[in-house]
Amino acid sequence: MANKDKITRSIGTIRKTHPIVRIVGKAIIYIVLTFGALVSLFPFFWMVSQSLMTLGETLQIRWLPAFPQWQNYAEAWSRARFGEYFLNSTWVTIGTIIGVLVTSILAAYAFARIEFPGRNIIFTIFLATMMVPESVTLIPNLFLIRGQIIPWGNWNDTFWVLTIPFIANAFSIFLLKQFFQQVPNELWDAARIDGAGHMRFLTQIVLPISTAPIVTVILFTFTGAWNAFSWPLIVTGRKWRTMMVGLYNFVSEAGTETQLLMAGAVISLIPIIILYIFTQKQFTQGIATTGLKG
Amino acid sequence: MEVPKSEELSEGIEESEQSVMIQPEPIVDKPKRGLGFQKTIDYITAYSFVTPAFIIIFLFGLFPIGYAFYMSLINWNVRKGKFIGFRNYLEIFGSWENLYWVLGGIALLFIGFLVQDKLSKSNHKIAKFSWLVFLVILVVAGVLFTTGWGAMMDTGDKAFLQSLVNTLYYALGTVPTQIIIGILIAFLLYQDIKFKEGFRLLYFLPYITPAVTTSVIFRIIFNREAYSIANRVINLFGLDPLKWRFESKPIMQLLGFNIEGFWAGPSLALIVIMIFGVWTFVGYNVVIFLSGLGNIPKEVYEAAEIDGATKWQLFRHITIPYLSPITFYLTLISLIGTFKAFNHIYVLKLPSAGDSVVTASVYIFERFYKFSQFGRATAMSMVLFLIILGLTFIQNKIMAERVFYG
Repeated sequence: MANKDKITRSIGTIRKTHPIVRIVGKAIIYIVLTFGALVSLFPFFWMVSQSLMTLGETLQIRWLPAFPQWQNYAEAWSRARFGEYFLNSTWVTIGTIIGVLVTSILAAYAFARIEFPGRNIIFTIFLATMMVPESVTLIPNLFLIRGQIIPWGNWNDTFWVLTIPFIANAFSIFLLKQFFQQVPNELWDAARIDGAGHMRFLTQIVLPISTAPIVTVILFTFTGAWNAFSWPLIVTGRKWRTMMVGLYNFVSEAGTETQLLMAGAVISLIPIIILYIFTQKQFTQGIATTGLKG
Repeated sequence: MEVPKSEELSEGIEESEQSVMIQPEPIVDKPKRGLGFQKTIDYITAYSFVTPAFIIIFLFGLFPIGYAFYMSLINWNVRKGKFIGFRNYLEIFGSWENLYWVLGGIALLFIGFLVQDKLSKSNHKIAKFSWLVFLVILVVAGVLFTTGWGAMMDTGDKAFLQSLVNTLYYALGTVPTQIIIGILIAFLLYQDIKFKEGFRLLYFLPYITPAVTTSVIFRIIFNREAYSIANRVINLFGLDPLKWRFESKPIMQLLGFNIEGFWAGPSLALIVIMIFGVWTFVGYNVVIFLSGLGNIPKEVYEAAEIDGATKWQLFRHITIPYLSPITFYLTLISLIGTFKAFNHIYVLKLPSAGDSVVTASVYIFERFYKFSQFGRATAMSMVLFLIILGLTFIQNKIMAERVFYG
């Protein structure tokens, strides 16, 4: 006890920084952090500000619109067809999420909880596909969906071409497998004694306790599908153009109407921002634990 | 270990647990046939569970690699032509000798690192001169590499090789910058401050928002007009407006140096793309570093504080060494990321910036999307793939061999 007192006293004596030094230090920390946050935020501020300006105002030196032009959004939604693109992206995102959940929950369960021949090999092959750059797969996949390799018709510019190739991925399987492995064996033994098969065990015991990793998978799939660009760019035409492709095309099609472009940009961000605000803890945790670069 | 099941047994348990406790024999005796049957059921279940994912991943993730390789061996422009072996590759490199020189240089560099590592650890007399040995190897490797590369640029696909150089510029400009800024911000955020969550939320925002959207915003910020934000900012420092995204001149020439070739540096347009890259990925680095900071034992800091270490000393001698495995991981994963980077570069690039903003993945994309040179494009994509594989190999090799506490 006496020893501990001594240590605490010595901390008190040695680590006595002058209060002014401490306050200045803190102030510097806040200034640096605030500056960084402003840099992070500025482009978003600029986007919103420009989206509410008149065309004339976007060409002047001014930070804010004189009167917010809310009708820019209506115009972007209908005339610039961003509404249509927005709905396309929404359907594609929902479809992809459902597909990913079904395939990856099943596969992850098998990898995590059932012994079967070839388990490790198949899993390693799955993981290996994560390394392959899109540049490699893009061209063969284009031929594939046009029905030039397997004669299943041309899927170009359909809902399926934007969803099917993405309804399974190694990352989601990996993430869920890690979690499913931690489910205690005793639960499985008990379920099995009660006569439950794998399917019942999965749906009634494993899934209800796996909301955290499932939410993470949904988050990653959501952002992946919503933000997708190069694949939708080459496989969509008029009908299934997604939000991102629409935005990119608007740049070249109507390069001067900055206010509409920025209104479109705001519209394209809304789902992601909402998702992020409500789940930001899960988001950052998911990234910190997996170390995945999206 | 799971308890083998038979009908009687499970019924018995439902009725009373005691019967099992008293008569354990059925568990031992019965299971053999049941186990085999159960195994079969298990296999069927497992395969049917894995099949949907397998079909998709095989079709769209695995099969395309083989097919891309097959395409790269064919003279395939718009229409499929003849089988030409490795001619598409040969046209990229100019000649095989060029490739051997370049690969020899890289291999030697790698060996150099290994030798230096071994020597510096041993207690032998030579150990003192290990840096000298390393220097010699480095020079030889450099000569080999530049000779091969120069010949490649002369006789091979210059535009593609230039796109690899651009990718290298992009990597060198972004990866160290975002890691240094990331580690600093993470360290500051880790201090005892308010609004921690809020700051983290804001820093992470650029990473989570779609790259196409944010690139479109950056297009406007870095316009060449005098009223663009970028020009207004440099105007505050009394500088004349720049052309930013439209500027294809290398940075060194803009600064007034009369340099040509590699050392002239990236164009200002590519630097705008780098700024975008850093802006986007700092938040990602912050989050990863923060999780690493949380793993540093508090006692280490406390012990150092008792010894009277300053904040800077804590940062320099505890935080940085402890984080070095993460730093290394982030460096390689970001490096690999730069070779894959596409979306923001494609959206930010302009024809007037010419080839100076075309990185490898963008170049490959244009070859097939605009010019339908499928054979050549797949050959280039295979080269890119091999580079990424090489980097991944180095990552695994070094990560496995040493823990960085330096």
